[in-house]
Amino acid sequence: MTAAPPEIVLEEVSKFYGEVLGVNRVSLRIPPGITSLVGPNGSGKTTLMNLMTGLIHPDRGSLSLRGLSPRDPERLMRITGYATQFDSAPRGATGYEFVCTALLLYGYTREETDALAWKALDRVSLRDAAHRKVAAYSKGMRQRIRLAQAIAHNPEILILDEPLNGLDPLVRAETIALFREYAARGRHVILSSHVLGEVDVISDQVILIAKGSILAEGRIRSVREEMQEHPSQFLVRCENASRLASELFAAPHVSEVRLHGDRAGLLVHTRSREEFTRLVGQLAIDGHRIDSIIAADENVDSLYGYLIGGDK
Amino acid sequence: MNLPFRARQVLTIARLELRRAFFSKRAFWVYLLAFFPALIFFGHVVEVRFKLQEQGGRMIAPALIDSVTEAESVDAVRSRLGEPIREFHWKRRGEDHHRLQYSDGKRRAEFRFQNGELTSRNIRSVVNIEEDKKIFAAVFQYFYLRVAIFFGCLGIFMNLFRGEMLDKTLHFWMLIPAPRPVLLAGKYLAGLGAAIVIFSTGVTVCFVLVLAAQFPAEAQAYWASAGPGHLARYVGAAALACAGYGSVFLAAGLLLRNPIVPAVVLLLWEGINGFLPAMLQKLSVIYYVQSLSPIPPPIEEDVPALARLLLAPAEPASPALAVLGVLGVTALVLWLASRAVSRLEINYSSD
Repeated sequence: MTAAPPEIVLEEVSKFYGEVLGVNRVSLRIPPGITSLVGPNGSGKTTLMNLMTGLIHPDRGSLSLRGLSPRDPERLMRITGYATQFDSAPRGATGYEFVCTALLLYGYTREETDALAWKALDRVSLRDAAHRKVAAYSKGMRQRIRLAQAIAHNPEILILDEPLNGLDPLVRAETIALFREYAARGRHVILSSHVLGEVDVISDQVILIAKGSILAEGRIRSVREEMQEHPSQFLVRCENASRLASELFAAPHVSEVRLHGDRAGLLVHTRSREEFTRLVGQLAIDGHRIDSIIAADENVDSLYGYLIGGDK
Repeated sequence: MNLPFRARQVLTIARLELRRAFFSKRAFWVYLLAFFPALIFFGHVVEVRFKLQEQGGRMIAPALIDSVTEAESVDAVRSRLGEPIREFHWKRRGEDHHRLQYSDGKRRAEFRFQNGELTSRNIRSVVNIEEDKKIFAAVFQYFYLRVAIFFGCLGIFMNLFRGEMLDKTLHFWMLIPAPRPVLLAGKYLAGLGAAIVIFSTGVTVCFVLVLAAQFPAEAQAYWASAGPGHLARYVGAAALACAGYGSVFLAAGLLLRNPIVPAVVLLLWEGINGFLPAMLQKLSVIYYVQSLSPIPPPIEEDVPALARLLLAPAEPASPALAVLGVLGVTALVLWLASRAVSRLEINYSSD
């Protein structure tokens, strides 16, 4: 019998800032892997992250990260790295000094600190800029130095607030690769974003949050499948779009068929994914040339639109 | 985790925070407070040097100065004492005024004449070590203990947490793998180190300048006898005041957003210390540290009784009790602060 994977568990967690709601009765079980907290500004993403790292404490409910309480920073922060949205480098510190400063507080020796700091700086491609002052870094470099500080002690849980903001495409790709590598080793990578498109590609699961409440959680596809009240959308690439459109529209479960903007495909709304799949298969057998069928709304943008009425 | 590891964590935090405590832009005025009296004492040194240089080789015997009597004429004084260091002559409302200044090397005499006859004589020491020691004691008690160290600690210690909250950098410290009281201890140690260095240096510089203004023989005699002990007590009292006020303002920085509130409350509490019952007097910093001053500051006869009560402790504590008292008050306040820091939450948006 194998042990259950270590999880991050939130049970009925609520946090208020005076009269203002931070998060309300949030219950989550987050398995290892890449988890994205997605929501508009002010939705409660940072509050959740701050609760997980003990920077704030819940008014109600409880949290546990791989069995550790956020009220025990000594043990929790040994396995957790948190890159916030705010710079925290001491005034006048270089990138190297910033990373070293944090490591020294973990009790590493000078030699260990030096080795770990360079490893982290290499991981975020900041070796060449390591001896420049953090204050002189660009926005993207600051983002990376915060990431370097968060990963330097090799944490089991990586929590990152808007980590892809300000990164150029190359560094973004490198950073995503780093997240994937961490997740592949059975670690938790929790990141927040208000840019829905970017988390689609990298997340094992998403947590959609708005106004302090969790709207949905899980793998994007399974979240989508649970939303029966919204028709599924498919983009069908085919040879003779108008003939196929008339055939599709005859089916009772198809509610809408539109010609795609490039006139080389159809955007189909259906109330039954299964029946739609069967119908398209039959049409192909009947001689329609169908090049591809792509789910057009299995992305967080669409989910968000369905869940909060387009209020992103 | 064992004690040596905890101590290493505290020292690491203190070392990292020391630069911030010394060079925080919000605490720049602390240096002005610490070294402002040194400017005045330096001015005193310059004044004494100038007077001594001015008299040059024109010193006369002390007996000659003492021999000048009422109603003596200006010509008689000049012929007996010789050429003065300075001479002023003017006419006003038809009357003839003369002022002659002489020096015997240690004293400076000024004789005033009206229509050729002596009307007043003013003989003062160029520099008086006993008087200067009392002035230094007054500056130490009334300025350093009650103003400079008080507000200096406000500037340094309130910044340790409050300043980082304003800079949005406190989360760096809150995310370290250490219990919050360890963070508190490290930050307190950094603030204390900075405050003690700044104010002890200020006090020592003033003390040295007081000695520098004296005649060498008198300065050496003082330094060979009670001088080092006095300096040690002044520096010790300054350090204890930093420890006491530092702990209070560190705790205030954790509990309150506006530094003016704790400053006014504490200033009032420390100010009315003399009126409080004996038990409550002991719950203040000033009660203990003013007892450590080696020389009681002078209180002029015409000072009202109310002000006299405010300026002097009703019943000074013994040095041992004073040290233990400040350390006790400090430990109590730090314990309360450690409870507050454990509950502290980061909330930059509401600041």
